[in-house]
Amino acid sequence: MGFLNNTSVTVDAILTKKGRELLAKNDGSFRITQFSLSDDEIDYTLYNPNHPSGSAYYGEAIEAMPILEAFPDETQIMKYKLLTLPRGTAKLPVLDVGYAQITLRQGASLAITPQTLNYLGATTTFEPSGYTATIGDSRVLATFNGVGVNTTEAQALNSSTTIGTNVSKTVVGTTINLTATTVNTLFGTRSSLSTILIITGRDSGARITIPVTITKVTS
Amino acid sequence: MSFVTLNPGDFVVSADSITSTLWSDNTTTLVNYFTSSTAITNNAYLPVYNVNPASNTSALPQFTISYGQINGSGSAPLNAAIPGKSPTRITYGQFRTLITGDENTNLNFGAGNTNSPDFYVINISRANYKEKLFLSTFNLALSGSDGINPSLIKLTNNSADVTSLTYCDAGRVFDIVSGSNGSSTTSIPANSSAAGYTVSGSYGKFLPDVGLIILNARALALSASFGGIGLSPNTGNTSNALGSTNTGLYNSLKNASSFGFSLNSEETITSDYVFVRIQNSDFNYTTNPSMISGSGEFYYPSLINNPQTYITTVGLYNDNNELLAVAKLSKPLVKDFTKEALVRVKLDF
Repeated sequence: MGFLNNTSVTVDAILTKKGRELLAKNDGSFRITQFSLSDDEIDYTLYNPNHPSGSAYYGEAIEAMPILEAFPDETQIMKYKLLTLPRGTAKLPVLDVGYAQITLRQGASLAITPQTLNYLGATTTFEPSGYTATIGDSRVLATFNGVGVNTTEAQALNSSTTIGTNVSKTVVGTTINLTATTVNTLFGTRSSLSTILIITGRDSGARITIPVTITKVTS
Repeated sequence: MSFVTLNPGDFVVSADSITSTLWSDNTTTLVNYFTSSTAITNNAYLPVYNVNPASNTSALPQFTISYGQINGSGSAPLNAAIPGKSPTRITYGQFRTLITGDENTNLNFGAGNTNSPDFYVINISRANYKEKLFLSTFNLALSGSDGINPSLIKLTNNSADVTSLTYCDAGRVFDIVSGSNGSSTTSIPANSSAAGYTVSGSYGKFLPDVGLIILNARALALSASFGGIGLSPNTGNTSNALGSTNTGLYNSLKNASSFGFSLNSEETITSDYVFVRIQNSDFNYTTNPSMISGSGEFYYPSLINNPQTYITTVGLYNDNNELLAVAKLSKPLVKDFTKEALVRVKLDF
């Protein structure tokens, strides 16, 4: 008779850039209330359902993978979230925003209304809790907000501002509004600015990353 | 769903005391002392390094030496028309206020020197001691000549001898006595009535909460048979006199460098433990593009009814789904409908 293993895995966490920013704001927004899991780095093509040693070894190559340390950039980690879905789900939810990439001229605006495909039996749906949108460099947009979700948290998030260097900004809504910056000095000698827009379904966890380019209007 | 709300019981805050070496080279005992040729205004203090700053540009001061005198003697007045208002007077007033909290109460080193007119200050660099000095690791050797007995004295605090803590305006305070590792020696110098103490009182005050070591100048000035090292401050009213006084204590440290200066730091690290409880029915599917096609279909049909994921990362979020902290596992943790997991995430502040 042996003992059951009742130990837990212990890991050290680091603050993300956003975490440090919110800690510095000291406005109560640095408050951990929920968690999520991801399988960043995992390459499921290493999964081998034909392994000669049987099903216990299908994931042998994946389990042998040495894992990198955590990155503090919140836009570069937790990319592929794990989802809780009913057993037997044949197709996983994916987001469709209608754009593979976004290019805006200085001062131009765009409204994005994401949809979720394959979620809870529906071919296409708008998630009730809306979508979280994170712009990697908030400076490239003059306005960036979400509409359609009227919770206190969403409204506070949509109205928050951090001045300074290239910090990310996250908003919540069913429609995300973007207006490109009109500030010329950000461009320096370049003709365009680039960043990424990450949209995540708040119910499904599905995520899509879209490159964003702001082109300078030569005056 | 990809987020799970944490319950109040999932959080535990724990404060742990962490001790570590104090000196920049991570040694427990400082045996090499160097000074810089860079002049300090009025020679008010003397920074002491563990490596030679002339040859090592990254050298950092480990501590500073300064001297305070109640009447301002031993240094040049800031303004010749106002005698007495000199760097030594400033130092005296500064530390008297800090320690006693009363401009009318001078430092009391005990019987023989209850109203001390002067003292030396060893001020440990804040980055080194972090939060406070670790009590019983304090050992400081001084010698008035060349490190050979009997001019050599080995000092410590009396933290292991006292039965109750004494507090001043700068937190805990301990007497500096002759001895080692927080305990006084049993030998009694000439004319003294207590082991470890001199006829001029204790050797000083050890203030661990503010990183200060105050040395009783009257005790150090005694001859070897009385427990001192014959170190007397220069009483001239010139800037060079103060430089000479500070250098005098520095040389006393160097003379006894074979015994060195040992001291550790102590820091309280507050950790926030978050218990991440992963139920069997949760997190068995993934949005990882290497598992699903662009339209969301599995590459491996066997995963439809027996999905399997590998957890590598735990993200901690606020109500707005903003990622505040992140932790990585050392190896992928397999997850399916038959497995549950408990991950304890430690977040230090």
